Amino acid sequence: MMKKGFQVAARLGHHTPFPRTLRILPRLSSASAFGSSTDSLVSRFLRKTDFKDYALPNASWSPDMLSLYQEFLKKTNSEGWIKLPSFKSNRDHVQGLKLPSGLIATSAHLSSDISPPGDYRIFTRCIQVAGQGYEYVIFFHPTKKKSICLFQPGPYLEGPPGFAHGGSLTAMIDETFSKTAYLAGEGLFTMSLNIRFKNLLPVGSLAVLNVQVDKIEDQKLYMSCIAQSRDQQTVFAKCSGVFLQLSLEKESP
Amino acid sequence: FPLLCGITVRTLLPSFASEEVIDKDHALPNPSWSTDLRFLFDQFMKKCEEGSWKRLPSYKRNSTQKFQDFKTHYVDPKLLKEEQMPGAQLFTRSFEDGLGFEYVMFCNDVENRVVCFFQGGPHLQGMPGFTHGGAIAAIIDATVGTCAFRARGIVMTANLNINYKRPIPLEETLYSEATGLFITLDPNKKLT
Repeated sequence: MMKKGFQVAARLGHHTPFPRTLRILPRLSSASAFGSSTDSLVSRFLRKTDFKDYALPNASWSPDMLSLYQEFLKKTNSEGWIKLPSFKSNRDHVQGLKLPSGLIATSAHLSSDISPPGDYRIFTRCIQVAGQGYEYVIFFHPTKKKSICLFQPGPYLEGPPGFAHGGSLTAMIDETFSKTAYLAGEGLFTMSLNIRFKNLLPVGSLAVLNVQVDKIEDQKLYMSCIAQSRDQQTVFAKCSGVFLQLSLEKESP
Repeated sequence: FPLLCGITVRTLLPSFASEEVIDKDHALPNPSWSTDLRFLFDQFMKKCEEGSWKRLPSYKRNSTQKFQDFKTHYVDPKLLKEEQMPGAQLFTRSFEDGLGFEYVMFCNDVENRVVCFFQGGPHLQGMPGFTHGGAIAAIIDATVGTCAFRARGIVMTANLNINYKRPIPLEETLYSEATGLFITLDPNKKLT
């Protein structure tokens, strides 16, 4: 009886036409397909826009987070680090580009009177009240293929009383992976995440996420992350992730 | 789809017999629920009448009872603030209706199973039109955690390993496969 219930659940989910697995997309040689180099991806990512950048200090940032932010800001001048902007939606980040055809999602049975059309938010910017949800900024190093994310979880991210929900930290790591994978090699979708929690992360305190790209092969980007306190004395979690490479296409004019 | 739960047994903890009900129960249909989600909800409500399934209520905040117990037993007092943080909310319920996680969990204590039906709203976006991988991880963590909690008392995620089979469009039903390893907490050992 249980099995039938699950089968029903699985069937109901398949209303939109969808490739059975992303692997059926043509496999192109690494030389030609992912021709967008990190440099061109980065310069496109950083081009001037009117979108509000949420990865900037506000009153809710702890002194710790502020000072570490200033430190890294200095390194953007001298050591090749880049501060990544963070907009309300990924659509804003990739303006002018779209997902390959066959991967455009449609919501057939959405209850339409909930949010105004277009009020889509990237998950890590879902809570807009300063200090309540995700406060973070990501610095990326194009040559080293590394990222550092400064993350301060707010009270809306609670799991165990007074501490960040494991899922919220996982999401922050996934998001840092996502931006790193995109800029390092057009990584678009999470294929797997393996996270090991070591210590609880108190709400309102600073976690430093160190992400690096370990290898790129077979249309996949392999990354690892350590989330720890600023003084590196406390490790909150370690995580490895694999992302699928997929080139975005130019939107037809 | 199978949800695997690996559990290490240490000590059995007293379950929270009567929790303070201080908030609205969010594990109930609201206008944002799709017909699919509602259908599954109705199906399982029938199962609750018929046998050993139970719908799990879900609140925005940890009850003060839970907070006190957790604080007393598991945390170094220097680390944790005295009062429950004002405005603190359970992460998966920190959204207006239809915008974030719409979900309901049913449990079967005889079979040690928890089923969660989940619909992701527009504030959970990753790639345009799709649910953020981290949002999926969060709901899986919540589901597997609930399963472990009902089996063994207070638990904390030690390891979460998720293989994403296909991207999930927003407002679609969840399909993911996960294994979770949970450590149970020994009240005689502090966490911090």
